[in-house]
Amino acid sequence: MKSNKVVSLLKDLGLLLYAMFALFPLVWLVIISFKHDREMFNTTFIFSPTLDNYRVLFSSGEFIGYFVDNLIVSVGAIILSIVVGVPAAYALARFDFKGKESIAFTFLSFRFAPEILVVLPIFLIYQKIGLYDTYFGLIWIFQVVSLPLMIWILRGYFEDISVEMEHAARLDGYSWWQVFIKMIIPLIKPGLVASSLLSFIFVWNNFTFSLLLAGQKVTTTTVAMLKYVSSDTVHYGQMAAAVLISSLPIIILALAIQKHLVRGLSMGAVKG
Amino acid sequence: MAELILKDVCKIYYKNKKPVEAVKSLNLKCRDGEFVALLGPSGCGKSTTLRMIAGLEDITSGDIYIGDRRINDLHPKDRNIGLAFENYALYPPLTVYDNIGFNLRAKKIPEKQIKEEIHKIAELLDITDLLDMKPAALSGGQKQRVNIARALIRRPEVLLLDEPLSHLDGKVRQKMRTEIKHLHTEINCTTIIVTHDQLEAMALADRIAIINQGVLQQFGTPLEVFNNPVNEFVAGFIGEPPMNIFNVVAIMENGILHFKTENSLIKFVVPEKYIRFVKEGEKYRFGIRPTDITVCREDDSYTVKTKVSVFENLGEECRIHIRLDNDNILSVVSSEIFHFKYGDEIKLKFNPERIHIFDCKTGQRIEKALQMT
Repeated sequence: MKSNKVVSLLKDLGLLLYAMFALFPLVWLVIISFKHDREMFNTTFIFSPTLDNYRVLFSSGEFIGYFVDNLIVSVGAIILSIVVGVPAAYALARFDFKGKESIAFTFLSFRFAPEILVVLPIFLIYQKIGLYDTYFGLIWIFQVVSLPLMIWILRGYFEDISVEMEHAARLDGYSWWQVFIKMIIPLIKPGLVASSLLSFIFVWNNFTFSLLLAGQKVTTTTVAMLKYVSSDTVHYGQMAAAVLISSLPIIILALAIQKHLVRGLSMGAVKG
Repeated sequence: MAELILKDVCKIYYKNKKPVEAVKSLNLKCRDGEFVALLGPSGCGKSTTLRMIAGLEDITSGDIYIGDRRINDLHPKDRNIGLAFENYALYPPLTVYDNIGFNLRAKKIPEKQIKEEIHKIAELLDITDLLDMKPAALSGGQKQRVNIARALIRRPEVLLLDEPLSHLDGKVRQKMRTEIKHLHTEINCTTIIVTHDQLEAMALADRIAIINQGVLQQFGTPLEVFNNPVNEFVAGFIGEPPMNIFNVVAIMENGILHFKTENSLIKFVVPEKYIRFVKEGEKYRFGIRPTDITVCREDDSYTVKTKVSVFENLGEECRIHIRLDNDNILSVVSSEIFHFKYGDEIKLKFNPERIHIFDCKTGQRIEKALQMT
């Protein structure tokens, strides 16, 4: 009994230490965001808190614009990947066609090369065809990031659904579309939610593409951080506040669908 | 309820651009209310045939009729068939109630009537208690009942069962088999069952269609296919343990025609009814069921005297296996219990009324092989 208690106490202690380690950057951010630039380097935990950083952030209205821009391109990219990815994953799971595996692999290979490697040619192409610094341009390049993930997660889900179930529904007199909406979508929902959220995180935090393919008319929050670095000083306080605000959507989303996320990534849809 | 007729039905698949004939010119006529089994090894085309009847597979050529309706070009839902799938294929997000009612909802039948119908079917299949459950919570046997209920609620003219028992184990399987038989007598609907288990086919069906490599081998009652298999394939496929089949040569000895194995272990006088079919010096395939061989006592006249290789006592019967030569083992099933052990001497007698002789090249029963030439 006694040793059990000690073990569990040690476990808790270990977890606590790890939590502190993992969360410290966040805590640090929160602290900095409430500090005045004056106190930035000469105090650690003891300072007179101020809301100045947040005030500056929102007073100009600029930051809200960046935030909205980021939201538009991220949500746009996810919607585009769902619209393209769900049918693509279905086709890859269900139909036998020539070069099926090669196509599936090609999608995956989008994620092989580091973004910085491909951004230059894309930059040149975008300038030529007028996609540079547009919403659609960023959405288009972001779905390259999110689509492979979507396809590969959902393909597994579709493969788990028996074809006979679709046949049964056809015998029951439903059209393919009705079956898809009524039966298949509910079954792949955990996977859809999980892959959408993961893709959203990747896209939301993307820096390379946002920096090099946009930046004037369309500016995402990640790129906007750079604006707090001015020629004479770096406004760490404002930057920290901006970072905190821009990570909020992800934190809220992740907490809200935590249940789906764990289920969606850890198991297939229809077993047993 | 109606009869089901398949006329010259062919199915050709293309695999890597090469045509594969899955079903070759199949002719079958199932009478109204008849229970017919499509029996064959896996990949023989029986499931393809069923799927063509259901409309899940295109028919390459030939016609399928239900009653006088040609159903080739009808949508599956308009063919008035019910299909119970091999792996149940229930809709996981729906309750049992909604699963069964799914078809009626598609037809926009009023909810009150749906409820009545579902309860009627549920009672028939004894699944009333399960109606509120989701498929994931059901056992294999229960899933199969729901699966059949879903097929029956459409009031089909033809009920199709695709290997309904193959995913069930032991006792449940036995029980379900009896229940399906009982169900058939109750609803008296023309029923086609696809199976690879000859025991299942024998127990359930009024008539059995044995298919091999896309070709119908024999279509007859269980007794017909058991007692008069038309060829070596049917003979070997029906019956457990399978029929003993081995090579013999016809020779003349003292003016009497004999079948003899190559090593002379077995010598058997050609029965009267075969004499006119058998030519001296020709090779034949000789078949006899394990139950048609008896163990002789002392000095009775015997067919073969040899040694026991394996002896199995199963309580209600015993099985004796004897090595004929390097390739062939002769099995004997006896309802009389003996006690043998390895190496014991044994004398066996074949029942001359119950032997089957097949042509060596075509595998046809010799009476038939001669008729055909």
